[in-house]
Amino acid sequence: MLKTIIAREFLNNILDLRFIVGLVLCVIITVACTIILSHDYGKELADYNIRVNLQDDFLSNYATRGRISGMVPHQKPPERFRPLIIGISGNENSKSFDDNPLPILFPSLDFLFIVTIIMSLLAILFSYDAITGERQRGTLRLVIANSISRTTILFGKLVGGAASLLIPFILSLLLGVLYINLNPNIQWDGLAWVELVLLTVASITFIMLFYLLGLMVSTFSRYSATSILSCLFLWVLLILVIPNVCPYISAQLRRVPSIRETERQSEEIGQAYDEVHQQRRKQVVNKFRSAYGGLFSKLESLGFGRILDDEIDDREKVGGLAAADPQFRTMVDAFRHELDQVSSEVRGAERQEVDKLWGDLNTKVAAQTKLAKNLACISPLANFVYVARDLTGTGLRSLQYFEKTKSEYRKLFWRYVSKKVEDARKNDPTFRRDTFLDLSDYSRFEFKEEALRGKLGEVLPYWGILVLFNVVFFVAAFAGFMRYDVR
Amino acid sequence: MLNRIVGKEIRNSLSSYKCSITRVLTTLELIVGKEMRHNLFSYKFSIITILTTILILVSIFIMYLDYCLARENYEILRSSTYAIPLTSEGISEATPVVIPPTPLSIFAKGLDENLCRSYERGFGGGVSVNSNRQSVNNLFKLFTVPDLLYVIKVILSLCAMLFSFDIVSGEKETGTLRQSLSNSLKRPILIIGKWIGGFTSFILPFFVAVLLGTAFVTLKPTVDMSPQNWAKLGLFLLSSVIYLSVFFSLGLLISCLTHQSSLSLVISLFVWTILVFVIPNLGNILARQLVRIPTVQQLDLRREQIQIRKGIEVNRPQTTMYERMEALERFNSENEMLGEDYRNRFNRLVTISKNITRISPAAAFTFQATDIMGTGMLEERKLKRAVRQYMHSEANSPAFSYQRSSFREVLGRGGLSNCLILILFNVLFFTGAYVAFLRYDAR
Repeated sequence: MLKTIIAREFLNNILDLRFIVGLVLCVIITVACTIILSHDYGKELADYNIRVNLQDDFLSNYATRGRISGMVPHQKPPERFRPLIIGISGNENSKSFDDNPLPILFPSLDFLFIVTIIMSLLAILFSYDAITGERQRGTLRLVIANSISRTTILFGKLVGGAASLLIPFILSLLLGVLYINLNPNIQWDGLAWVELVLLTVASITFIMLFYLLGLMVSTFSRYSATSILSCLFLWVLLILVIPNVCPYISAQLRRVPSIRETERQSEEIGQAYDEVHQQRRKQVVNKFRSAYGGLFSKLESLGFGRILDDEIDDREKVGGLAAADPQFRTMVDAFRHELDQVSSEVRGAERQEVDKLWGDLNTKVAAQTKLAKNLACISPLANFVYVARDLTGTGLRSLQYFEKTKSEYRKLFWRYVSKKVEDARKNDPTFRRDTFLDLSDYSRFEFKEEALRGKLGEVLPYWGILVLFNVVFFVAAFAGFMRYDVR
Repeated sequence: MLNRIVGKEIRNSLSSYKCSITRVLTTLELIVGKEMRHNLFSYKFSIITILTTILILVSIFIMYLDYCLARENYEILRSSTYAIPLTSEGISEATPVVIPPTPLSIFAKGLDENLCRSYERGFGGGVSVNSNRQSVNNLFKLFTVPDLLYVIKVILSLCAMLFSFDIVSGEKETGTLRQSLSNSLKRPILIIGKWIGGFTSFILPFFVAVLLGTAFVTLKPTVDMSPQNWAKLGLFLLSSVIYLSVFFSLGLLISCLTHQSSLSLVISLFVWTILVFVIPNLGNILARQLVRIPTVQQLDLRREQIQIRKGIEVNRPQTTMYERMEALERFNSENEMLGEDYRNRFNRLVTISKNITRISPAAAFTFQATDIMGTGMLEERKLKRAVRQYMHSEANSPAFSYQRSSFREVLGRGGLSNCLILILFNVLFFTGAYVAFLRYDAR
């Protein structure tokens, strides 16, 4: 019986006009989007290669000890999934004066967009009248009058509807992937294909969620006209409103001091500690004055021990006197020792406080981002975006990962350069900061994607929330349909 | 005699004209009244009104708080100093160039965050930017800004279509269209009356909500609205009404072309998706394919290398003063050419992308609104030019001063061309609906 209902529902949907419209739209947009983005990926890749070669050439012509710091060759390659998903741009603070502001006005269209906006809308359009439409036509009554349980009907509608809904999605995705596969610019390894499969499964979870939402609303309303309005209302809230509002709310709830403000505060701390330092030195000087009397004033007359300057004016004279008089020498040594101790104490405390200040800023920023992220979890769109982006290495996590590998490479590169410099110094006694360094055998920077395990660990909680949404909506739809008045 | 006859005839025809005009007006009034009443009592009206009111108020409130943050950030940036690298007289301090956020960014944020970064003299005559936003929330990058522009562009346009998709096809289904047309009612009057009635009942709640929000925001002491800004806000609201009417007419057109309201709903939603999301966002990437332009990273890399080479050449020992000057000149002109070339390409890119995306009313409206509010591409270009000029001047020149484009300037630089496009769309869709309705099979 279930099979009959599924087949009927499937056939019913496929012959409907919305299926054809949805299919055509989905295929056209996905294919157009993949073609354009693949082309864009090719351009990005070419640009990346130009940049790498530029740096290579430059290193082989102009590498010197003094200039190397600005030339560490780590360029970010375009993301692997660029033909499907456009990654988010890097650190806001390191943006350039000449950057292109158009993407701010119009966020780019990619596979994520197709799933989140077009497919979710299509899912709602498929299911909003699954129950109400049949009730209005009167067929629901006839079906229920037979010996079929309501559970079977609901399951049949779910499976049949979902199957017909996923046809446009799978078909257009296959076409897009086929294009990607045929494109010579794009080389995907096994891991990328695994990620693609996971991405597809996540997308199906997301699309099913909206199908179930429509089904649920349908079981709670009497007329298709009200059902579609309620569905669209929920859709607007979940897709267009909540995710966009959440970062702003969290920015208000958890305030973060600005970077400039923190800089100012750390400067203030520095000044305060300078004063403390000075006072402590004064104390030391007074102590020695009272302890040694005349001997110390001799030292002071040489300019030594003046309150702030660490520099000794008459180093040689002091040295001479110390050599002549052992008592003087012990005094100078003790004095120096005490001053060193004082300054290391004060500077240590200062550094600790400044570090705490910056650490504080970072924890606050992290707390704000976390709050925003968790707030946005009310919306399935946000959950899906986290899953899809982090899975394919186009999200915030991969940005952090890139920064990490970059700094690791920097360390490696510096070790290499300092070794080269040492060698050059050995071979060439006239080595200077602007002598040419031969760096032809340096190890190139190659960005490797993060392993799947780490990504999955990040992604699974959000995926779980998506599944939870599915379950909740299904249970609600079930409960609604059990008590549905079919007349 | 003749005069009297002519006069009488004229009077007669005038009075008959008057009569017919009053008759038309009364019918029109009747239809408008009926349409509005019909809407007012519908479930659709209540749900959409609640949605838009809440959304508009929340959006204005949130963007107001965001504006306050931007303002604080501006104060901090303005009072800070930075060290100018590599000037002839060693290291000297300067205050960065930064402009205040405009209160209009509450309504249409556009590129305001980009514009309000601080600009500093960078390494070797370049400009380095710094945003140092108070809020460094990374999640902003994933989602869009929920300002009034977004609410109107995306959500209200959807609502406008929801209002009009079943105006004709719905009435046909309920059977009332047949009855109305069986009377001595002319089709043009019916369709015009439906348009006026439907659109008025849609736009009134929107206006109330916007007025409430605006009153709330402008009464706050932190928001300083000049008369200029009021005029801009007025023009923005006017163009948003035109924009929404485009979608209303489009919905009407679809309704007149279909015979079932469920079908017209499906088509309306898909057309809406294409116009609001697909064309603007895809057109933008498409334009990038048509212009050969290096990425900003490449540009910056090349600039950096020119600077390093310059440092090496100029400081090379055993060169005469003349050779040094010559090398300096050469590198500077190379740098200049690089920037010039990039800017030319970039301007081409912007033009192409504007022209491609303008097929969609949503894109035309975005350009129009952000240009009016002083947070758009026009302003960005102007500001960058001013900053560049300032940076090229001497280090100790007077403080940077910048005025956002005035109302007149916006209008003068083709700010209304997008508005004209919107009106054109409106006329096109309404004419289409009119013609389609004249041939509509009401049975």
